Amino acid sequence: MTSSLDQKISRRGFFKLTGAATAAAALGGSDSALKPGAAQAGTRLKPGFESKYTVCDMCFNKCSAIARVVDGKVQKLDPNPKFLKSRGMLCAKGNAGVRQQYDPDRLKYPLLRVGARGEGKWKRLGWDEALDLAAEKMKAIGEKYTRCGFMFMAGADMQSTFIHRFAKAYGSYNTLSHESQCLIAGTRAFLDTFGEVPIPDMLYAKYCLMMGANRFEALVTPDSIDMMTAMKQGMKLVVMDPRYTKTAAKAHEYYPIKPHSDMAVMLAIAHVLIKEGLYDREFVAEKTYGLEQLAKHVEPYTPEWAATESEVPAEVIVKIARELGAAKPAAMIYPGRRSSNYRDSTQVRRAFAIVNALLGNWDRPGGLTAARMVGLGGGVPLEEPFYENNPADRVDAGRATLMFPEEGSFKLARDAVLEANPYPVKGFFCYHSNPMQTVANRAKTARMFDQMEFVMVMDVAMSDTAWMADLVLPSQYYLERLDPCSAQQGSSACACVVMRDPVVKPMFEAKPVFWVMRQLANRLELGEHFNFSVEEFRNAQLKDLPGALEALQKDGVYYNPSKLYGVYEGRIYKTKSQKIELFNQRYADMGLDPMPVYRKPAQPEADQFRLVVGRNAVVTQSSSTSNSLLMEFQPTNHLWINPAAAKGLGIEDGDWVKVASPAGKQWIQAKVTDMTRPDTVYMETGFGVLSPQLAAHGRGACIAQVLVDDFDQISGNMAMHETFVTVSKEAA
Amino acid sequence: MANQKLAMVIDAPTCLDCKGCLAACKVANNVPDGKWRNWIKGADPERRASSPVVFQPGNCMQCDKPTCVEACPTGATYKNQADGTVVINRTLCIGCGQCLAACPYGARFKNTDLGVADKCDFCAERRKFGLEPACVSTCPTKSRKFGDLNDANSEVAKLLKANRAVRVANEQTRTDPNIYYLGEPGPTNWTVQARMPEAFDFWRRLADPVVKAVVGLSGLGVLAMLGKQLAMPKDAPPADGGAHEEAGHE
Repeated sequence: MTSSLDQKISRRGFFKLTGAATAAAALGGSDSALKPGAAQAGTRLKPGFESKYTVCDMCFNKCSAIARVVDGKVQKLDPNPKFLKSRGMLCAKGNAGVRQQYDPDRLKYPLLRVGARGEGKWKRLGWDEALDLAAEKMKAIGEKYTRCGFMFMAGADMQSTFIHRFAKAYGSYNTLSHESQCLIAGTRAFLDTFGEVPIPDMLYAKYCLMMGANRFEALVTPDSIDMMTAMKQGMKLVVMDPRYTKTAAKAHEYYPIKPHSDMAVMLAIAHVLIKEGLYDREFVAEKTYGLEQLAKHVEPYTPEWAATESEVPAEVIVKIARELGAAKPAAMIYPGRRSSNYRDSTQVRRAFAIVNALLGNWDRPGGLTAARMVGLGGGVPLEEPFYENNPADRVDAGRATLMFPEEGSFKLARDAVLEANPYPVKGFFCYHSNPMQTVANRAKTARMFDQMEFVMVMDVAMSDTAWMADLVLPSQYYLERLDPCSAQQGSSACACVVMRDPVVKPMFEAKPVFWVMRQLANRLELGEHFNFSVEEFRNAQLKDLPGALEALQKDGVYYNPSKLYGVYEGRIYKTKSQKIELFNQRYADMGLDPMPVYRKPAQPEADQFRLVVGRNAVVTQSSSTSNSLLMEFQPTNHLWINPAAAKGLGIEDGDWVKVASPAGKQWIQAKVTDMTRPDTVYMETGFGVLSPQLAAHGRGACIAQVLVDDFDQISGNMAMHETFVTVSKEAA
Repeated sequence: MANQKLAMVIDAPTCLDCKGCLAACKVANNVPDGKWRNWIKGADPERRASSPVVFQPGNCMQCDKPTCVEACPTGATYKNQADGTVVINRTLCIGCGQCLAACPYGARFKNTDLGVADKCDFCAERRKFGLEPACVSTCPTKSRKFGDLNDANSEVAKLLKANRAVRVANEQTRTDPNIYYLGEPGPTNWTVQARMPEAFDFWRRLADPVVKAVVGLSGLGVLAMLGKQLAMPKDAPPADGGAHEEAGHE
């Protein structure tokens, strides 16, 4: 038996022994109902089993999948071979979805907090009681603090659209998503260069330089798969990362770059491309704005200078620039996804975008292609009511220069709430997101909840955020739900629509969030905004896509492919100059650096390390770390520390160490490895769980507890790699 | 219909070590916690300066000269002549564990839920319903290909015809495996010398014919008898025999 299983049993045993009656009641229910096929160990399928399309919800990729159902229970999830975006695959997490469905730790009915916040004392409520209470609180808070005094947060979920809709109907501008923990700096940078966020045409690339991304572990469809196919077809992959990731292991060349020096390398590559005339002269002359300024700007950024900043040798930088130049336009700097790294992450990613522009790879095979909308409608239109006494703007407005109003910034909104500036926010509803685990500075998030008058969380399990709530609502798992259609943005090659029909009957008293929003709307006299069913919403979404519903039912996915390359012929770019902006005029007007300026970043002191975070192919942050199958791969996280650094601190592999920053401290076991630099320590996200109702409780350390909450000054994205920690061999 | 020779042809250099095949197999076959029917060798590599690291996916090699079949005292493990897979008849298996030590690839484990030996069977159950083995169908990069080598039009047969392939074998224990690796196979030093049962010859001479004959007639009583006498051995220590690659199919 594995140690992970032993620990899990002892955790369950803990409840029994300590008689934590209310918590145990919440866990109750028959375990036998939760083990499909247990009676027939070793077999899963029976003649006459059903195969039903679904859409995986184990991460944001939303891969189409086929559920094999026997006697009303999901036995196996298989990939949908017709789903081109995933290249017909289902990863380990996707396969583990079955375990989540039948997880004994699922929330079963509404729970009301009866002890102190975070104490874990709950009382079971009926749905009517729970919804009456929620509606009453929403009404009272809206009246007392204006409607913007209630904040909404929704994760990447196919029903999240209904939370945004509800917030608008209710009258709050304050909606948050997961995006400000993730990708908005990169989005900002590419928007402000190309006028849109491109899709890499990885499949046909001949050369790829990857920095700030770990695409063979943090799987993104189709990039992760196409990258391997492209390599098989001869693409060269060069990886720069402070950490020896599996992407690094699979690369042709790997360089352990010093953290926060990506911009230096990128500017030096631009320097070489321009100086040696290796950029695409015709493309740059015709389609871009600001070459002259850029040439002057990058003049001092020599490879030799960049080498001292990045510890990537100058000759390597020169060689890479030449190789990129030779392989162009089918050569790319991978744009990446998560860019929640530094205070200047937008500018770092702008440097990536600019080098791509110099390579002339835009709108061409093997380069960056235009994203294409598949044409899915917005569903049932909403007539947004107007509330006179509402404040002028979001609570976090103006705290970063160029924020996305629809995403906001969790970090900046939290600051605003804690300061009650410009106005108080006293209510919070969170669906399918877990800021207590994912947002830097957990103590601050807890303080934000402390000052709330009402916190409601809806999820499938008692997440750390749910653990802090006043009212916890059990959500249906994705395999139980009828969801609206979801458009998957992609290049023309794989832009598509997916939808979700229930595969099995809902368990316990779990409900979809649509139903909750509708019930609350009815109670708050907002029922006219939710006067439809999910099917009707879906039909409205599909009204301009004839044949889509039939295709979805037949194939589990709908495509309408069109021209993939050259779509920008005769089109203008959505920037001020209407061209690709090497020099961003709008930034100049706003007093921002119009081209990325490298400012020597702070470095850890001799007794400190830079903490970097990430994940691998069996972890999707905190939503997956309690999955019984995925836990077998990764039962906990470790602190990766370089042998030289560990030796100096007397730390041996497996030792418990204290990791401390100004934000907080955690204890974690060290993994002594040369897979991280001597100045950099690393841990995976999703562990150090507070909620004892999750299997990951008591395992590893939580990034949110030790990360300092800095932010990208332009987009408001969280900056998660600005934290310096001390590491010591010290008992808890 | 002609007999099949089911095999896997694996393009190890395209494996990302994403664990998709392990997860898919575990769910598809109800493999107990802590046990696996398949693997990826060379996972979690130590840092190397250059050249891509090769991860090696694998599972029971459905050998043509299976030492596990030889080691089985009851005939529960046998070579299925119809499709070439090595099969465990769970009714006949007494859980003695001799086959575990007899496998140079460590492909077998004791299924603690069922009290019998367990291993990959190329997803016999899924194949019965026209589905590919779970690991093959789920693989993101389609590193694993599956099919019938006796069918010249199968993808695996074509791949072997067009490419150089190797098999991973143990020097001391040649079993003629049916997993082929295209190109660089990754680590090959992990196989062990098969350890045949100590009382193997004794049992073979004495019990084997009797057991096989009686089992054919009545089965269970004999299983009970043998179950009392044969204890599950401890985990086999790794033998010192190194591994090597052997040239594949012509």
